Amino acid sequence: MKVKYISFLFFLACLSSQMKAQDDLLDMLEDQIEEEPVEVAYTFKSTRIINSHSIERMKFGQLDFRINHRFGQVDLGWRELWGLDQAKISFDFGYGVTDWLMVGFRRSTYKKMYDGSLKFSILRQKSGSKVMPIALSYYTNMGINSEEDDPDFTFSNRLSFTHQILVARKFSEAISLQIMPAYVHRNLVNYDEENDAFAIGIGGRYKFVRRVAFTFEYFWSTAAANNENIYNPLSFGFDIETGGHVFQLFFTNSQVMEESGFMTETTGSWLDGGIFFGFNISRVFAIAKPRHE
Amino acid sequence: MVLILGAWASVHAQKYLTKEGVIDLYSETSLFVIEAKNQKVACILNADNGEVAASTLVRSFKFKEALVEEHFNENYMESHLYPKSQFKGKILNFNQINFSKDGSYNIQIAGDLTMHGETHPLKTTGKLTVKSGTITASTEFLVSLEEYKIKVEEQYKDRINDQIKLTVHFDLKPM
Repeated sequence: MKVKYISFLFFLACLSSQMKAQDDLLDMLEDQIEEEPVEVAYTFKSTRIINSHSIERMKFGQLDFRINHRFGQVDLGWRELWGLDQAKISFDFGYGVTDWLMVGFRRSTYKKMYDGSLKFSILRQKSGSKVMPIALSYYTNMGINSEEDDPDFTFSNRLSFTHQILVARKFSEAISLQIMPAYVHRNLVNYDEENDAFAIGIGGRYKFVRRVAFTFEYFWSTAAANNENIYNPLSFGFDIETGGHVFQLFFTNSQVMEESGFMTETTGSWLDGGIFFGFNISRVFAIAKPRHE
Repeated sequence: MVLILGAWASVHAQKYLTKEGVIDLYSETSLFVIEAKNQKVACILNADNGEVAASTLVRSFKFKEALVEEHFNENYMESHLYPKSQFKGKILNFNQINFSKDGSYNIQIAGDLTMHGETHPLKTTGKLTVKSGTITASTEFLVSLEEYKIKVEEQYKDRINDQIKLTVHFDLKPM
C-alpha cells in the first residue's frame, strides 16, 4: 500500500519534471541566443516623402526606378484637363551600392536638369538590446542645367548643389516624422536672389490602413523669406502601395521636383491658384542578390 | 530520493545546439515564386529524451527582392507584432538513435509550431545523421497560411500559395 503511494508520487514527479523540462528546453535555448538590436524598418513606404528624400534607402543590389509628374495649375479648368496638359516629369534611378550608400541619377523637365546624388545612411533607428531613437542620413546632389542658353554663360553657371541632413523617427506602425535641414547653392541666380539658401523641412506619414498612408511635407527657406515672388513648398497627399509599386498622389504648390529648385524657386502659392496635382510612381527591382554574412 | 534522481537526470542530459540553423522558405504559383533564406535559426536537442526546441526571428528571413521582404514582414507575418517563431517538440523515435556512434536514421518529429501568434501541432518526418560528434538534422514540411491566420488579400491569392514549404537543415554541436 505504502509502495503504491510512493510509486504514484514518483510517477507524478517524473511527469511534472517532463513537462517543465520541455518549457525549460525552450527557455534554455532563448538564454543561449545573444539578443541583437533590431533595425526599425519601413519608416516610409519609399525613398521620398513627397518632394523630399526620406531616410529610406535601397539596400545593396536594389534599384528604385521612379517616374515623377507635376501637372499644371488645377484651376485652369476642363480645357486644360485641370493641368494635365502641362505635365512636367522627372525620371529617377536610385541604386543601393551598399546597404548604407544609395547613388541617384535623375533627369527633370524643369531646366532640363540632370542631377547625380548620394545618400548616406549614417544612423539607423534601432530597438531591442541597443536603442537608437532616430535614423539619420546625409543627402547631397549636384544638378546641371542643360537648357540652351546665352553663349556667354559658362558650364559652371549651370551648376547647383544641395546638402541635406535627414532625421526621422518611426513612432509607431502608423506614424513617422522627419525633419530635414538643407543648404542649397546655385551658381547662377536672378539679380534679386541669393546664391546661398538655407531651408528646413518637415514631413511625415500617417498609415491608417494596411497599404495606404496620408503624407505631408513643408519647407521653409530663406529664398522664400527674402523674395516676394518665391514661396515655401507645402504638399500633402496619399501613398498607395500595391503588390509591386508605390503610388504617391498629392497636391503641391511646387512644380519643381529637384531639391535646389523646390526649395528656392517655388513660384506657386496655395492662396493664389498655384496648386498643382502631382504623382510619383516607384518600383523597386532586385538587380543583385543580397550577400549573406 | 526522487529529487536526487531528478536533479541527476537534468545535470547529465547531453544537449546539442546550433545558432546558425538554416530554413528555406518556398511558395510557388503559376504567376510568382517566393523564396527566402534564414541562416540564423537556433535549435537545441536533448539527446536523453529526444526533446527539441527551435526559435528564430521572423526578420531573419531574407529575400532577393527588398519589396517582397517588406510585404512579408509588414503585411503578412506582421513581425512588429510577432517577432519570433518557435517550435517545441520531440523526436518520437529518439531511443532508436545511438548518439555516440556515427550513423544515419529516419526520424519522426512531433510538436507545436508557434507562428504569427498562432500555435498548431506539427508532425513530420526527417533525417538525422551522427558524424564525429556532430548531429545533422533535416526535414521538410508545409505550413498553411490560413491556419496561422496570415491574411492574403483576394487579389494576391494567385501570387501567394497557401501552402508554404519550409526546408530545415541544422548542424548541431554538443553544448
